Amino acid sequence: MGPVPSGYASGADIAALLVLLTEFAMLRAPQLRSQVRLYGFQSFVVVVLTLVTGAVRGYSDLYILAGLSLLLKVVIVPALMFRLLRQLDVDQLHHPAGGGGGSMVLVAIAASAFGFFVLRSLDFRSKVLPTATLSVSLAIVLVAFVLVILRSDVVSQAVGFFSLENGVSIVSMAIAAGLPVVVEVSFLFDLLVAVVVFALIMRAHHARAGTLSTEALDRLRG
Amino acid sequence: MIAPAGVQALQVLTVLFAAPLVSGVTSHVEARFQGRRGPRVLQPYYDLAKLFRKETVVPEGSSWVFLAGPVVAFGCYLIVPLLIPVLTTYGLPLGYMGDILGGGMVLALGGFATALAASDSGAPYAQLGASRATTFGALIEPTVLFVVFIVAMITSTDLPYALAATVRSSSEAVRPSHVLVAVAFFLVVLADTGRIPVETHSGTIEFGMIDEARALEHSGAPFALTKWGSAIKQLVLYTILINVFVAPWGLASSGKVLDVLVAVLSLVGKALLLGVIFALIDNSFSKLRLFKITEYLAAAFLLACLGVLVFYVGGA
Repeated sequence: MGPVPSGYASGADIAALLVLLTEFAMLRAPQLRSQVRLYGFQSFVVVVLTLVTGAVRGYSDLYILAGLSLLLKVVIVPALMFRLLRQLDVDQLHHPAGGGGGSMVLVAIAASAFGFFVLRSLDFRSKVLPTATLSVSLAIVLVAFVLVILRSDVVSQAVGFFSLENGVSIVSMAIAAGLPVVVEVSFLFDLLVAVVVFALIMRAHHARAGTLSTEALDRLRG
Repeated sequence: MIAPAGVQALQVLTVLFAAPLVSGVTSHVEARFQGRRGPRVLQPYYDLAKLFRKETVVPEGSSWVFLAGPVVAFGCYLIVPLLIPVLTTYGLPLGYMGDILGGGMVLALGGFATALAASDSGAPYAQLGASRATTFGALIEPTVLFVVFIVAMITSTDLPYALAATVRSSSEAVRPSHVLVAVAFFLVVLADTGRIPVETHSGTIEFGMIDEARALEHSGAPFALTKWGSAIKQLVLYTILINVFVAPWGLASSGKVLDVLVAVLSLVGKALLLGVIFALIDNSFSKLRLFKITEYLAAAFLLACLGVLVFYVGGA
């Protein structure tokens, strides 16, 4: 039994856990719009974590990063996704999330447990964030993968990819908080490119199949 | 000074007599939120008094099990307050008779007796309720187990008193695993007391009935015992949530009369506050479809599971 964590450490852990729980909520969200909303909330938690970490640990670079992420991930990306969904005029899928809701969650729990155990055996230590936050962020990345693999609609896959970036940004904050701001910003730029690409895919897919569900792709067998 | 045995008896008596009050206040507040005047706060007591005076009608073909079920369940629900910190911070003589798992087993035994009586009645709705209650009970069980695991890992024991003491001593920082386990247990209490995301506790809508349906065939004194028993079970679960996981403050640290009196009042006050929160939840959410309840329970399980992982692997 370890010592009781300090206020900052447990706050960081709880923030990371919130991000992980939103990831699980995305897994089960029935509506595409609520998924985008969840992504906005998740990004907001990451921004708050970045700000607090910057303040507590004294990395002023993190303020710039937090400001840019707030603008991009909390405002611009969700707004673009909402606009796209409005234009395509789809919200509810015909088969929301497929069958077996419980088993999807169980698979995701197994994936996050795997992440926790892997990180424990690596014996990584972070100077900036508590160890639990690091393992939670690895779990976030893995659950995002599960989301992308198991949900069969383009929006979930796009949102899964974006939230993967949220997980990665917590990891990068934990192991390399002193990273030059240019590198961090280039991550965000990656995200912007991904948004453009996914928007194109969504439009193209919707134009061809008339739906956002990727199950329609089965019909394209040659 | 009150002798430990006396305090112990007082724990049971407090739960016994405060339980209908908590139910009454909750349904009164709930009605107020809906813009109704609602029943009187003391209405559950009047209901019980009325039912105890009524004659008992037994369905044709049912055996002694039908009449014994409510009595056994009532007894089981009254044993649990002996095991948990209702009024005191220190363990009472019989408090170490069973740990959290023991308390859970006694609670489950009460549910089993009720289900048995419902099955013995031969009525389809009662049997349907018993079957559903048992099914969802089995789905709640893994969450409860993981909650117990976390308690055991945090305190190295599985005594509820030890966790309450840990919570009291570490007020300056909250463990993430503890937050997760408290939320998971909150969801379990919501499901186990038949509250809104799982069941409408006041209506008689056949499709959604779980707990309520089990008592449909009872009448007279056994029905009173069933109602009283479920109120006691509710207060016991509230007490565990409050005094073990969330707010174990205001408990008596000695047998002084004043301390014990304060403990009784603070327990009732905290339980009423929790009841108001539950009434708020009742009015803010809609009932889940029966087949969606598994998802709700999966969410509770997820929280408990993450709690174990965060503590065991992350050390927080």
